[in-house]
Amino acid sequence: MIFDFELIADSIPKMLMGIGLTFQLLFLSAILGLILAVLLLLMRISGKWYLSWPAQVHIYIFRGTPILVQIFIIYYGLPQFEFIRDSIFWPILREPFGCAILALTLNTGAYVSEILRGGVLGVDRGVLEAGAALGLSVRQKFIYLTVPIAARLSLPAYSNDFISLMKATSLASTITLVDMTGIARTIVSQTFAPYEIFISLAIIYMILTWVFQKTFGRIEKYLSRYVKPEGLA
Amino acid sequence: MTNIAPAASPETLIQMKSVNKYFGNFQALKNINLEVKKGEKIVVCGPSGSGKSTMIRCINRLEEHTDGHIIIDGNELTDKVKDINAIRREVGMVFQSFNLFPHMTILKNLMLAQRLVRKTSKAEARETAMHFLERVKIPEQADKYPVQLSGGQQQRVAIARALCMKPEIILFDEPTSALDPEMINEVLEVMTDLAKEGMTMVCVTHEMGFARSVADRVIFMDAGEIVEEAEPEDFFLNPQNERTQKFLSQILTH
Amino acid sequence: MEAVTGWWDDYFWGSVIVLQVFVCSLILMVLFGLIGAAAKLSNNRFAQKLAAGYTVAFRGTPEILVILLLYFGSAITLTAIAQVFDPEVKFVDLSPFWSGTLAIGLIVGSYATETFRGAFLGVKPGSIEAARALGMSNFQTFVYVRIPEMWRLALPSFGNHMLSLIKDTALISIIGLNETLFVAKQAIGTTGKPFTMYIVVGCVYLGFSTVITLTVMWLEKYGNKHMESAR
Repeated sequence: MIFDFELIADSIPKMLMGIGLTFQLLFLSAILGLILAVLLLLMRISGKWYLSWPAQVHIYIFRGTPILVQIFIIYYGLPQFEFIRDSIFWPILREPFGCAILALTLNTGAYVSEILRGGVLGVDRGVLEAGAALGLSVRQKFIYLTVPIAARLSLPAYSNDFISLMKATSLASTITLVDMTGIARTIVSQTFAPYEIFISLAIIYMILTWVFQKTFGRIEKYLSRYVKPEGLA
Repeated sequence: MTNIAPAASPETLIQMKSVNKYFGNFQALKNINLEVKKGEKIVVCGPSGSGKSTMIRCINRLEEHTDGHIIIDGNELTDKVKDINAIRREVGMVFQSFNLFPHMTILKNLMLAQRLVRKTSKAEARETAMHFLERVKIPEQADKYPVQLSGGQQQRVAIARALCMKPEIILFDEPTSALDPEMINEVLEVMTDLAKEGMTMVCVTHEMGFARSVADRVIFMDAGEIVEEAEPEDFFLNPQNERTQKFLSQILTH
Repeated sequence: MEAVTGWWDDYFWGSVIVLQVFVCSLILMVLFGLIGAAAKLSNNRFAQKLAAGYTVAFRGTPEILVILLLYFGSAITLTAIAQVFDPEVKFVDLSPFWSGTLAIGLIVGSYATETFRGAFLGVKPGSIEAARALGMSNFQTFVYVRIPEMWRLALPSFGNHMLSLIKDTALISIIGLNETLFVAKQAIGTTGKPFTMYIVVGCVYLGFSTVITLTVMWLEKYGNKHMESAR
């Protein structure tokens, strides 16, 4: 088997043209997903069944089904209903980009919410008791103690989920979006050179993974400055 | 705030009347009656599981008592949230496992509640914090994080943190049990100094030397009850109850 | 829902294929995971590097890319090989079933590598030493002390890997595997009811996930019996 290096050199710039879309999908749904995750978490720990129950159902459904199915239901499925086509959301749901963002957000929101819950449950009870003993209100304890400590505890798992989200953006190519994977699939269908194209693209994704992992590693190190016994502070 | 403190003299700070506490079916406290006057130092001892921690945790409502009355400085503890935080401001607490806020520097640990609960200005909070850090003899650690300090230092910070709120009473829940032996004394020293200055203290501890030199009264608890209550001299030399005698013989021969 | 009426049997057979892929990829995943973990724990530098490359590659690449690469790549390679023997052959491929199964087995296996490695290292040396001190042989120690302890440590992550596998089977429809998502696509072609058809697929997967989750929960409870503290 001979690798066609000329084709690779030719295709990499073409595929990188899609990196902007990949990043848009990634960052937009990461931010919206984080907001959703916090909301779901607050609903779950609210202690009110009519809030915690819907949050749990959302998490159960979106973690229990494949993201590809979720994307298809939103993009191909929702237009089946007249009322959706008439609603104010139609301009978003008509576009594959809007649907991809919506699906990725709902999906990552469910996972991240569970990660954050793990962080909140991991906060030392004694620390919260100390806060209570000093007269801090429930809200003050949550903002000044639970949130910062839980954020640090959640970060390693969150960074893994962020990488998963980046990989999931490639599924946008199944609903006609031309992100990096979409471009690669087009090139392969024209040249029928899957090895050259898909392996180069895989390497691009691996580099991105590496960069994000390093970045999260740095943030983690910064946030953990108070966990290391000596030095580094 | 409901004020139903009839029989107590004006200087009574803590009054527990017929307090019972259940965890499910298990009765952790049985008919506890206790009065602590301003400036008094009480040492509470007893075997593990005897309810001594539960008792002092009820005093600042980290545990809720099932029935009976607990009156702090004339205010009865009820389930009204506002009242509880007002009372907690006046009741400092020091925990066995220090429970410093791990994500904040020592200085910030001391400033947080002053700022949020007492609404002190930043400058004043900092000044108070540094003042009490000097009192516990570790001002140079102000900008470090809790994990960077030894256990003894952390516990002294925890004491300073409680003092920053200028409480009327401080509760100590086995403050030296989690410490290595060589660090116990530095903490007891700080506690002894506090006692000399007239702070009202309720200490759950097994440090009998401390009890002997500092306490006005020693309380012995077993199985959720106060079994014996006496001045230290009598308590150690002439214990009345059989259970007290047994406990003392075990702890003193160790 | 009446639109689905004529399609229940197709969905059923699609679900059977999901299960078949799941079982086959599960075996592959355990195999790759154990080999990867053994290589990482070995003293052989080359094996360590190889295993490290394996995990980095498959954890850093989108799943769909691996599936496409294996399917189209194998088609090219196999066709080229076949043409050496018989120039008349136009196209030979590894079936979508097997290339897809292999792909997700490899992907999830790279995660399992870390799980197995962590579980192996997580066994307390004290238990092993105690077993040795009691005169148990290497083999006995491995079977009676290390394996049960490893199993307990690995189980929660192992459950997540199984969930990944079942959900990843949906991706194989992209290369034409006739599982439920593929069935839905055909059904939509004739009925024009995409929402209904895809919701059925969602329910099928939700059912599989639920069964896996409950099984793992039951196993964890069983495996952690000795961890319940005395009262």
